[in-house]
Amino acid sequence: MGGPTAGNGLREERLLSERLQRAGYLADEDLATTVWLASALQRPLLIEGDAGVGKTALAIALAQAQSAVLVRLQCFEGLDLAQAAYEWNYAKQLMAIRLSESGAPGQRPLRESDVFSRDYLLERPLLRAISQEGPCVLLIDEVDRADEAFEAFLLEVLAEYQMTVPEVGTLRAKHIPQVILTSNGTRELSDALRRRCLYHYLDYPSLAREIAIVKSALPQADTVLVEEAVQFVQRLRNEDLAKIPGIAETLDWVRALFQLGHSSLPEDIAQAMGTLSCLLKTREDRFLMGADRLRQVVEGRRSIGVAEKDGQAAQASV
Amino acid sequence: MTQVPSAQEPVTLGVPAGERLARFAELLREHGMTVGVAEQQAMLHAATLCGALREPVVAAAWRAIACHSHREWKLWDDIYQRFWHPEKLRGGVKVSGQTRPSRSLRQSVQQMHEQMEKDAAASRPGGDSTAPQTASDLASSADSDDSGSSPRAQGGASRSEALQQRDGQMWLPQELSALRQLARQITAKLQPKATRRWRCAPNGRRLDVRQTLRGSVACGGELAQPSWRVKRTEPPRLFILADVSRSMESHAALFLRVARAFALEADARVFVFHTRLAEVTSLMHRDTAAVQEKVNAVTAGFGGGTRIAASLQDFSRNHARAQINRGARVWVFSDGFDTDEPALLGQALKEVRARGARVTWFHPTRQVPEAAALQRARGLIERFVPLASLADLANARASLH
Repeated sequence: MGGPTAGNGLREERLLSERLQRAGYLADEDLATTVWLASALQRPLLIEGDAGVGKTALAIALAQAQSAVLVRLQCFEGLDLAQAAYEWNYAKQLMAIRLSESGAPGQRPLRESDVFSRDYLLERPLLRAISQEGPCVLLIDEVDRADEAFEAFLLEVLAEYQMTVPEVGTLRAKHIPQVILTSNGTRELSDALRRRCLYHYLDYPSLAREIAIVKSALPQADTVLVEEAVQFVQRLRNEDLAKIPGIAETLDWVRALFQLGHSSLPEDIAQAMGTLSCLLKTREDRFLMGADRLRQVVEGRRSIGVAEKDGQAAQASV
Repeated sequence: MTQVPSAQEPVTLGVPAGERLARFAELLREHGMTVGVAEQQAMLHAATLCGALREPVVAAAWRAIACHSHREWKLWDDIYQRFWHPEKLRGGVKVSGQTRPSRSLRQSVQQMHEQMEKDAAASRPGGDSTAPQTASDLASSADSDDSGSSPRAQGGASRSEALQQRDGQMWLPQELSALRQLARQITAKLQPKATRRWRCAPNGRRLDVRQTLRGSVACGGELAQPSWRVKRTEPPRLFILADVSRSMESHAALFLRVARAFALEADARVFVFHTRLAEVTSLMHRDTAAVQEKVNAVTAGFGGGTRIAASLQDFSRNHARAQINRGARVWVFSDGFDTDEPALLGQALKEVRARGARVTWFHPTRQVPEAAALQRARGLIERFVPLASLADLANARASLH
């Protein structure tokens, strides 16, 4: 049976959840369990979800909660080894060679292994994460933007926590970093990478959780304002928007309303049209959500389309 | 510590739990998840770490281990409940060896269609034209003798309610992915336009002297890392104009599916027209019930006739005026039956050709349509391609470049 280890596991998980909360990140229970499990099993954690649901924020909060160093690798198309892992410091190498050429006659001649040593290696995020002495959180952001070749290279790093530099040899991690990968799903990741990771799909938060998140980020804002605004955003997410507002957008909007001196959502939402640029980020969405439509959303009325109505009827009859 | 509540509790370790876990893993594998020995070990390990009494925690941990994609993530709850808590499910569903759901409605409909297609093909050796099946068919296709030649069976349904016709949604996922793949292949074969400019590329053939010298500054002037470059090419602009008038009703769904595939793969701009022209490119990039409804609204709102010439003119003069140039491709999906004057179509096509764009005409019939307007304008159309099914598109792969 579980015994003492089981008790420890639960306690650690609760502790982590509390620490995350103190760092300003309210994780639901499943997410807290997964993050704790990733550190317990020493496996990387792959987080998917729409933009703005707090994937990157989790890594930042985790580093803060564990008082660990955060090493961030932002992926993009064409990312190569020199930018992600390591690069030789050519200038320093050349300088060393020139110095040895013009050096004093009694000096030991410079050998190849002298120039190709750790001292001449420029650390890029992956190597920096592996060579950390203390606890470290490695955030590999938007891994789906990097190309497949880079993904293949990541496999060695993530499975063994080691990296092979041909001139130096294999460098092993002294302190295994906690790795968090995020993906927006612009490209299918390879099965090999997926299998090496624990997986969590981050969805938009529930009403209660989102209110709590906004309150913890903006404690000075009025409770009524926060509740009404979050309710409005949650309804807005059900609309057919091109870009669905995430938590970051909700926070921006509530902050804007708060700074404009609102203590609750204005009676007529059309008065707050100017602030809606925090939520609606494309021209089509702005066009779609006219003043009348917004009033409907505030009141909670929705016009349900034919296709959706069919689906709902089918669901209800099940 | 209290006793484990029931024998079905997931985390009683030891041989029976291991066996049950193996059976659970088997169930997960049957649903397409990758759960091997390594995952099972991790699951057991996680159960030991979490302890037996907190089932939600164990379930969350197992979910993180067993799921590897969003599809699996959504499936999990159902499978988990079905295996560990069959008593909670209404009607007491028991998990037996047969866990795959029986044929879904969509599959049954697909099979019915296939069967009817086979029967239809067997009954008419020419396989070219069938009689209209409903009264509304007769009325609407008085001017065309080919609108009934769709290989898709009508199933006796009336065609008068456009919104009720859901042919376009009866696609199986594998057909959709086949279509996407086909669109990708055709897109790759569309000849790109060469430009006079160059761009950096690590595997280029030509030395980029400027970049190489700039890079050498960091190495004290040693040319340590050469940079390379290749010619920059631009993918051709692709425009798709789909006819959604009454006479094309039975093909509109296929046309829109094909247009959607090219909108996603080739970044094509998609227009639909009947008596007017409307752009639906932004709707093509998303695939939800609400979007489908909007497309239906655009396509079904007018019914009536077709004004191909006027729509083409609107397209070339207003919508794509700045983008139709040499190398642009204009694909028209239509049977060519026009309520405008026949001479007008030639004029409209001439305008498009004058800018250097190439026009390909996709028609749902086997032969090139007999419509007078189309026959007159034949010289202005580069290629005619039959398009009534996916197989037609696959056959046309060689000629589209």
